[in-house]
Amino acid sequence: MLRFDRVFRDGGGFDTLLVMLALGYLVVFSAFPLIYNVVMSFQEVDLFSLASFDRPFVGWDNYSEVMGERVFTPIFWNTVQFVGLSVFFQLTIGFGLALFFQQDFPGATWLRGLFLAGWILPGLVVGAVWGWILAGDFGVLNYVLQSLGLIEGKIFWLSDPSVSLYSGIIANIWLGIPFNMILLSVGLAAIPADVYEAAELDGASRLHRFLTITLPLMRAQLGAVISLGVIFTLQQFDLFAALTRGGPSNASNVLQYWAWQLSFEEYRIGQGSVVSVLMILFVVIVAFVYVRSTRNEHAG
Amino acid sequence: MTQQITLSGIEKHYGGYHALKGINLDIPKGQFVALVGPSGCGKSTLLRTIAGLETISGGRIEIAGRDVTAVPPRGRDIAMVFQSYALYPHLTVEGNMTYALRLKGLSKAEAKARAAEIAEITGLSALLQRYPRELSGGQRQRVAMGRAIVRDPAAFLFDEPLSNLDAALRVHMRAEIRKLHNRLGATSVYVTHDQIEAMTMADHVVVMRAGVVEQQGAPLELYDRPANQFVAGFIGSPAMNFVPGRVGEDEQSVALDLAGSPVLRFAGRRPSGEAVTVGLRPEHLELGGAGGNSLTLPVALVERTGSASYIVSDTDLMIAATERVADGLGQVTVHIASERVHLFHPTTGVALR
Ligand SMILES: Nc1ncnc2c1ncn2[C@@H]1O[C@H](COP(=O)(O)OP(=O)(O)OP(=O)(O)O)[C@@H](O)[C@H]1O
Ligand SMILES: [Mg+2]
Repeated sequence: MLRFDRVFRDGGGFDTLLVMLALGYLVVFSAFPLIYNVVMSFQEVDLFSLASFDRPFVGWDNYSEVMGERVFTPIFWNTVQFVGLSVFFQLTIGFGLALFFQQDFPGATWLRGLFLAGWILPGLVVGAVWGWILAGDFGVLNYVLQSLGLIEGKIFWLSDPSVSLYSGIIANIWLGIPFNMILLSVGLAAIPADVYEAAELDGASRLHRFLTITLPLMRAQLGAVISLGVIFTLQQFDLFAALTRGGPSNASNVLQYWAWQLSFEEYRIGQGSVVSVLMILFVVIVAFVYVRSTRNEHAG
Repeated sequence: MTQQITLSGIEKHYGGYHALKGINLDIPKGQFVALVGPSGCGKSTLLRTIAGLETISGGRIEIAGRDVTAVPPRGRDIAMVFQSYALYPHLTVEGNMTYALRLKGLSKAEAKARAAEIAEITGLSALLQRYPRELSGGQRQRVAMGRAIVRDPAAFLFDEPLSNLDAALRVHMRAEIRKLHNRLGATSVYVTHDQIEAMTMADHVVVMRAGVVEQQGAPLELYDRPANQFVAGFIGSPAMNFVPGRVGEDEQSVALDLAGSPVLRFAGRRPSGEAVTVGLRPEHLELGGAGGNSLTLPVALVERTGSASYIVSDTDLMIAATERVADGLGQVTVHIASERVHLFHPTTGVALR
């Protein structure tokens, strides 16, 4: 007993236990659902066969059916826009703010901390709040724009098919900025001040220092933030549930919301799984890029 | 000689803290100046002030005959070697060395040729394609030097560039830097807290304390004629011994406040009965009583380094003898030339001559 205790504490026993716990968690809560999802995408699944594993295999039928849907192409391009615009603006605004708060002024740390408040709000709450802001009749945004004289009539942000997707994008950008800012702030803080001073003495202007020192030294962080931003954006479900529910008539629908609609509203679970599998493939590619970008870090 | 750097009345406040108090300094072209002083005395602050990395609260800075008080660092034509080296981690050695040249508008080929030339001088030729993380501490130090030299600046600033190296390499680089300085005909300001470094490398040593220049001059000038007790104690190793004493009736000798009140003659005259602090350098206390002006001290401890024997007496007085000293020595008689006896004011520490 005493020996076991020793092995457990001093030997590899404890390490092994920790690894097993993590692995076990991953297998049960990540690997199994993933694989199960892939399996279902090749099966015919309906409400009656949901409870059993023994379901008819239909090959690529689900895939061709999903791709053949009339709404597939618009939803796909909506998703591309949603991810592309969200990540771009989250990154540029977040980076701008990180650079701004890097400046040493009174209250900088405080203000930066306040930005985090938005991040700890659940997506549904954020969605509800933005729902009020964007509301057509009594929304704050319309009121502000109108009193500034920027728009004539009211814009129906959530129900006008030409803008509803952008409403979701705006809310999502707002939601993602704190995360980008904090991660990039950490990266900026890790660049030694004397490297900037050396560059300054070497004749580099502020812009030069940003381009030749900051950007290259932030490569890893930027890679991480972009990859995680893409993944988080592809996960963004609550906002759509709270704001537009993909509507009107799929004008603001994106793949992740559509997958849910297929599976849990129309109970076309096989096809819902297909959409999920497509997204998983994409996320795997992004995750691969992310892992690569964090590996090539400059030390010292 | 033309002045390369002129500082007049430099003041620096950090909030309520007065870090530099009216510093005046003239550095002729081609001179190697060392700033020494205890930690926190403002050496780095003064250096960074010259570079323009700190704004000053008052005073005037001229570099190569141009008033640069309001000029940002990049307009000052100054190269600095940082204690941390501050190499660009994402650039190779060559990239580090060509960075400034490319900003100056040299073509890639020109910049590379110039970097190769300087790499030759600094012994970096084999390392040009390495990244800083792939270099040893000593090699990084060389890159920092090389990066400064390629620019051919109006002046070099060094902030304790050798403090991260081991003792042997430090001694080697000390000579190396001084040789490079001579070869380039450069003007250098070198910050160190190591007075040996300052004494061995510099033409002109500036001793600072608490934001004030206590004394400046040639190294041996500071050693031979320290202006006050602080400089006397700071310059020289091991440090000068200080013993309270009182000037005798003949106005040319002082009775030390030691057992038996030994009396030492000094050069010059002081009023009889004046209380003074007597300064005696350990290496000036020579063994033997020959020539008079001697004192006999009880021995507490003998430390031997091989080349020297440090004899510590009961009262912590230290004697640095070049002779070997026998064990079990009960007491020792030493003598000192009267012109090597320093006198200081007991409270202000000002040298009395
Ligand atoms: N940014 C700052 N804000 C407030 N006080 C400062 C700042 N920088 C330096 N000081 C103070 O100014 C004084 C001089 O600092 P400095 O760095 O010049 O010392 P130093 O002589 O280089 O010391 P060391 O040998 O330890 O490097 C110190 O007392 C320090 O606390
Ligand atoms: Mg310093």
